[in-house]
This record gives sequence, structure tokens and C-alpha cells, in this order.
Amino acid sequence: MPPIIQISSLDKYFGRLHVIKNISINVEEREVVCLIGRSGSGKSTLLRCINFLEEPSHGTIEVDGVRVEGGEKGKVHRQLVHDVRLKTGMVFQEFNLFPHMSVLENVIEGPVTVKRMERAKAVALAEENLDSVGMLFKKDEYPNRLSGGQKQRVAIARALTMEPRVMLFDEPTSALDPELIGEVLNVMKKVAKDGMTMLVVTHEMGFAREVADRVLVMGDGEIIEDANPKDLFTQPKDPRTKALIDRYRSGEQ
Amino acid sequence: MNLFNKDTNGNKSQAELLYEAQQRKQNQFRRNVILSWVALLLFLIFLFSGIEIKSGDGVTTVSSWEFQVVIENNREVRKRIESTLLSLPFGFSNQGFDLKTIIVDGEFIRENIDFVAEGILQTIRISILSILFAVALALLAALGRLSANPFIYALSTFYVSLIRGTPLYLQIFFFFLALPQLNIVLTGLWAGVLALGLNYGAYMSETFRAGLSSVGKGQREAAMALGMTPGQTMRRIVLPQALRFAIPPMGNDFIAMTKDSALVSATGFVHELMWRAQKVGRAEFRNMEALIMAAIFYWIMTLLLTSVQSRVETRLARGDR
Repeated sequence: MPPIIQISSLDKYFGRLHVIKNISINVEEREVVCLIGRSGSGKSTLLRCINFLEEPSHGTIEVDGVRVEGGEKGKVHRQLVHDVRLKTGMVFQEFNLFPHMSVLENVIEGPVTVKRMERAKAVALAEENLDSVGMLFKKDEYPNRLSGGQKQRVAIARALTMEPRVMLFDEPTSALDPELIGEVLNVMKKVAKDGMTMLVVTHEMGFAREVADRVLVMGDGEIIEDANPKDLFTQPKDPRTKALIDRYRSGEQ
Repeated sequence: MNLFNKDTNGNKSQAELLYEAQQRKQNQFRRNVILSWVALLLFLIFLFSGIEIKSGDGVTTVSSWEFQVVIENNREVRKRIESTLLSLPFGFSNQGFDLKTIIVDGEFIRENIDFVAEGILQTIRISILSILFAVALALLAALGRLSANPFIYALSTFYVSLIRGTPLYLQIFFFFLALPQLNIVLTGLWAGVLALGLNYGAYMSETFRAGLSSVGKGQREAAMALGMTPGQTMRRIVLPQALRFAIPPMGNDFIAMTKDSALVSATGFVHELMWRAQKVGRAEFRNMEALIMAAIFYWIMTLLLTSVQSRVETRLARGDR
């Protein structure tokens, strides 16, 4: 079976700033891949290129058989981008729930508006997903009445209800108070266990070590290390990786 | 620990007591404000009541002045007639004081109130037509203002600048008096609606623009990540939030427009409140009475609109971020 995500020779410039430098990676189906690295290393940009929230400057993105060349314009390109977005669910650092909609409305919005799913069917699916993230009891609340952790769990349910093939997480716990991080990580573990392919940009080394099948370390727009978590945490090769892991270790004690 | 928990004795917690004290103070303030309002209103009514209080030569009298129709030399004339309400056998000696209030021609008001009141409907019609036109224009102008296309951006800013740079009064006359020279003849009503709509559209576009840019980038990104098209993102995610932001100032604009609709009377062909008040006031030289009538009608209308607006605002605040 071919890898579900194939990124080849990806480049991204912001003006003259070269933030992604010729990156190629593959992600297999059901794989959980964590992207770590110092801030400014390009990990969020790489993730956002996958569903074209950032348009890549060059290179190819292929998600579940949909192949899109970066840096193009026009109707065909827009259609391909749309197809890729339907195959990817995204969870943001700032949750980005729609404040004018209740929790349930937030979750059914995508299926009803984008996929033209019947409302009743969307509600059933949404309730199932809200239940699995433990937020069904708040389905009629508005987002402003929820804690950060609850908002993020709803955001995960919202992405899952689109039935994506791949889930992208962009620092999902970075905006949370420390005591709320656990509940979100637990939900993510559950999603991983259910067999979802996941790409997670995170600073949570513990999560990476425990849940990831593979960890990619980014530095200055390049992948500087690609290893399974056990090897990475015991014998990092690159000095920058070593620095990251040492900092994590010192924080742990 | 919950600050609002009652302790085991069932006594109120300190926070609860503090909260109650604050509430009491607030309620007291509100009550006093209402009482003062009533007092001011009563004073105003008294000021126009025609009541005279005199005290002198050891007698105090309270009397009421009124205009009455009397026949004099075979002609009907309105004359001020005094009727004593109260006379007391004590008071200041010699000069004393004489307190007169303004005498309003009640007979004139009774005769003309129906005629002036008929203008309310026309005033409301102008306001509603104009506000609908203004909202549509304001939305287009605001979207144009956020457009990446230089021509559309220019069109929007040009319109706003031109309209805001010239008086509304001039614009009304332009549509009514200048356009006929180009063989475009508008009735007074449509000239007024066009001018008011264009004018308020220009001002409201700023409100809309602020509303649109109050919706964060993250909202658009979340919608896009779900696969929404730009149109769907605008309709389902951005506009509802922008409107919620823009509705309170829009309410203010609507109230202001209701009052500015009085300017349309200048065309002489739209028989709304102001026109009617001027007409009857001039005819019988009773401008004060006529304008007071119109003022009361305008005031009541804006009071009603304000209460509707505050109700809408509290509703909108419910699901807020």
C-alpha cells in the first residue's frame, strides 16, 4: 500500500525567507508522526502546507491519492486543494471554534455545508464523536462557556466528523493551562488508538515518546532527524536534537 | 473552592454579602435615576402648563391660562383667558411675586394633532426604505474596502469620501432639484430615500468594515480547513459574526436616520412629521405648538426604537464569544 501522505521536494518562501527547504517525507496509513523542533523551525508551516492553508512555493503534496503541485493557480488547482482538505482534518492551537454556533452546530457545520450531508445523519455522527471526546453533555452550550481543554476536544470532534483520512494537529495543547493539557492528550491518544493517521506538531515530548510511531525533528526548515521515539530519546544524533531532549529531561525532573 | 458556596451554618459567605450590597447600591441608583427623570419631565410639563402663581397684597392665587375662541367685532379670535383655580387669603404683602409659565394653545393642538400625527407613517416609511438601501450599500462598500482589486477598493473609498464630504441637505436637493435638469424626475419621497440611503450607506460602511475585520483570521482558516469555499466561509462564518458586531451601531444609525428624515420635508412634497408641523405652524402662527407636537412624536419614536435596540443587544450578547 502506498503511503497515505507523500510530500516531495517541498519548498516554502515567505518573501525572501526560505522556511521549508526541499523537504520530502512519507507517512504510512495509521502512523502517528510527531513533528518537534524549536519555534521558528518551520514545523507549523510544513503542517499547514499539507492542507494548503499555506500555499507551498514548489513541490508536491499527495494525500490519499490526490496529488497537488504547489505554487499553481486556477480552477483545477482549487478543486484539488478542496479534495485534499476533505481528506484532512485540522486542529488549531487556538481552537478556532465558531463563537456564534453551539457546540453541536460547530460540529455539524462541515458535513452539512460542505458535504451536503443530511442534517439528521450529521447530528448522529456529531453526537457519536462528541461522545467519544467526552463533550456530548455540552452539545447545546456556546463555545464561550467552555474551558480551553473542552474547546479543543470539541475542535477535535469537529474535525473527526468530516471523516478525514488524516488528522493534522498544530500545537493542540500550546494555548492551554497546564492542568487542561492532559484531557486533550488523552483524547488524541484515543484517536490514535482508533487507527487514525496523525501528524502532530507539538512541544509535548512525553506525548511524542509515548504515542508516536515516528518523530521528525525540524531545524531551520529541514528535517534534521527522523527516527522512532525510542532511538531518538536514547541516542539523538544531531546536537540540536540532543539540546531539545536535554531541555525536556531537565524539565521532567 | 467556590466563592459562592454557603458554609455549613447556612450563613451567607462574605463574597455573597458583598455581591448583595453591590446589587442594593445599584438598584438604589437606578431607582433614583428614574425618579429624577420623572421630576424633570413633570417640571417640563409644568413649564408649558400656563399656570400662574401670584402672591401679593396678602392674597395668594393659583390660576390657569388658556387660549379660548371668542367673538370680537364679529370675528373669531383666540384670546388668553385666565381662570382662577385657587385663592388663599394669605401671602406676601405689597408686591410679592408673580410666577408665569408658558401658555400653550391647547385649542390649536387639539385641532391639528391628527393632521401632524398622520406624518408618523410617512416618516417611518422613509426611514425603513432608506435603511434597507443604506444597509445594502454599506455591505457592498465594506466588502469593496476589503477587496484586493485596486479598482473596487478605489470605487468604495471614492463613494464614501464623496458622500461624507458633502452635506446631506445638499444631497437631498441634488436628487430632487438638480436631477430634473437631466430629465430624471424623482418624487420627493424617492429623492429623499436615495439621498438618505446613499448618505447613511457611506457612514455605515465603516461600521461594517470594522465588523468584518473583527472576525479573526483563525475563523477563516478553520472554515477553509473544513473545505468551505470562500463564499460559504463568508456567508456561514464571517458575516454572521460581523453582523453581530455591527448591529448595535446600526441601531444608532437607524435612530439617527429617523430624525434626519425630517430634512426631506425641505423638498416640500413629502408630507412627513416635520413638513406637517411646519405647515400648520406657519398657517396660524403657532410654530411653538406645532414644533412641540412634532418633537414629542419624534421623541416617542426614538424612545421606542432605543428600547427595541437594547433588547436586541442583550439577545445578541447571549451567545457571545
